[in-house]
Amino acid sequence: MKWLRHLLLLIAVTSLAAVVAGPATGATAESPLQTPPNDECYECHGAPEAKTKTVDVGGEPRSLYVDRAVFEASRHGKLACTSCHLGFKAGPHDAAQTEGWAATARIDACRNCHADVFTMYRGSFHGTLGFLDPGSKTPVCADCHVAHNIVPPESVEFRRQIDGMCARCHEDAQRTYLDSYHGKAATLGSLTTAVCTDCHGGHRILAPSHPESSVNEAHLIETCGDCHPGANENFIQFLVHVNPRSPRSSFLVWTFYAAYILLITVVFTFGFVHSGLYIYRGFKDGLYGRKHHG
Amino acid sequence: MVSTDGSTMAEPRADAVAPAPAETAGREKKQPRTRIEYRRFNLFHRWMHFLVFVSFTVLVFTGMPLKYEDTQWAQWFMDLFGGVTAAGIYHRLAAIVTVFYWSAEMVVMVVTVLRTRGHMRDRITLMFNAKDVQDIVGMFAWFFGRGPKPQFDRYTYWEKFDYLSLVAGTVIIGVTGFMMWFPIQTTHLLPGYWLNVAFVIHSNEALLAMGVIFIFVHFFSAHLKPESFPLDKVIFTGSLPVEHYKAERPLEYARRVREGTLDEVLVEKTITWKTYAADALWWLITLIAGVSAVMMTAFIIWSVFD
Repeated sequence: MKWLRHLLLLIAVTSLAAVVAGPATGATAESPLQTPPNDECYECHGAPEAKTKTVDVGGEPRSLYVDRAVFEASRHGKLACTSCHLGFKAGPHDAAQTEGWAATARIDACRNCHADVFTMYRGSFHGTLGFLDPGSKTPVCADCHVAHNIVPPESVEFRRQIDGMCARCHEDAQRTYLDSYHGKAATLGSLTTAVCTDCHGGHRILAPSHPESSVNEAHLIETCGDCHPGANENFIQFLVHVNPRSPRSSFLVWTFYAAYILLITVVFTFGFVHSGLYIYRGFKDGLYGRKHHG
Repeated sequence: MVSTDGSTMAEPRADAVAPAPAETAGREKKQPRTRIEYRRFNLFHRWMHFLVFVSFTVLVFTGMPLKYEDTQWAQWFMDLFGGVTAAGIYHRLAAIVTVFYWSAEMVVMVVTVLRTRGHMRDRITLMFNAKDVQDIVGMFAWFFGRGPKPQFDRYTYWEKFDYLSLVAGTVIIGVTGFMMWFPIQTTHLLPGYWLNVAFVIHSNEALLAMGVIFIFVHFFSAHLKPESFPLDKVIFTGSLPVEHYKAERPLEYARRVREGTLDEVLVEKTITWKTYAADALWWLITLIAGVSAVMMTAFIIWSVFD
């Protein structure tokens, strides 16, 4: 009867496991990884009337409307609204729920799942600029990754938006970037050419003066070498953000630029005058259409 | 394209007589029509021009969109070529063709100069000389109706400018282009900021060359000036009616008569349907190139003033 004892034991263990696992299974129903009952939220926020309603977030009006199709197609499409909108209950929301949202949205909404990224961001240059203050211009997660139609950061769509995102504050840097080969190729659709984050990093951007920055002189060979294997001491003296039109940006580069503008002006002007006068004389003397040859 | 007319040197022959075009006029009608033409360019010249023509066009159309990258037409051209990467490959292929024709030209030039040593003074040259200064002054006087049109030798000053600017410009644009093609190797020799300089030079030299070729010198002298209008196709056909050449370049013609070398460059051209077919082809090619050139120029002017 040894087999019967084994069978009983097996049943006992299985039952116990089921009992233990029971509450755990119940918990996953509320876990962000299962399609949540967002219907309640869409009752108001998905209704057409919401399109005209706004709420003040950090001094800017923000629409209360959420496009369900856009959100569900996004990378976070399977999350419950409340997995980011922490502390919100079925509405209408009272002041206690909405008051803290502006601050929560800046960090906590994302940190719950992306603690590792938050740690990197916290140590970055941007992370030291008072990001918790809703009035601050410091970029936080949603400023680059947006909220409801979040796209995979490795996607082409996201890559194409990067320089525009940085340009909200770093307009000059974008201008010189777009003037460079990297920027021109990117504008015309190249996906292999460098964008801001390829050199500066994404979450862990540091000022170039910081010894750990990817664009600090000590790391440039390595950073440039990612795409340009064999980059050396000379190579990293390339001026990435240079404005040829300004002598203050690089006097050497400007000298060549200015010399060429002068040369082009002189040659084109002479050519224009010479051709124009030649044609004028041709008409005046009735040379057009006349056969010069037998 | 070479520094002389490219014809072989021959002893001056006192008995050489130019066959008059009139000799061919009275033939029977059943015979194919023939015409005595002056051979201005030989096969080498014509092939060189063809290589320059094709590679230059490819270089301009694959390169200029990058200079004016924020325009609609730049994107349009890139889509036409199949993207920046593909355009870059065509650009580099055309650059290799450029290296090839430039080197071939240099070899032929050096050989010709060595072979004609001692005769250069009397022969035509592509280098600027005192006559060119007189001609420029003379042309401006003629423009304002204060003198006769100067008589030209084999090459006018604007043709010399066209040629010399291409030879020199190819070195400038070629060196800077290869610097950017091989940035790592370049920085084995130079600090990286010379790549920035190369970028500025390459981009603006391109604009300069395009302007010179497309608008002022080339387009003007081959199409717009009264003697050529609407199309001077001698670089494609190689020869042109004798009387036409005599009117355009009287000094070279006179010298050949004087030296008795005229018959070296006279060819009897048979006019058949093939002649007309070839003419139509040259018209088509130059029309496409001309329209493209005007279009590109218009795009760029529009971009600059936009």
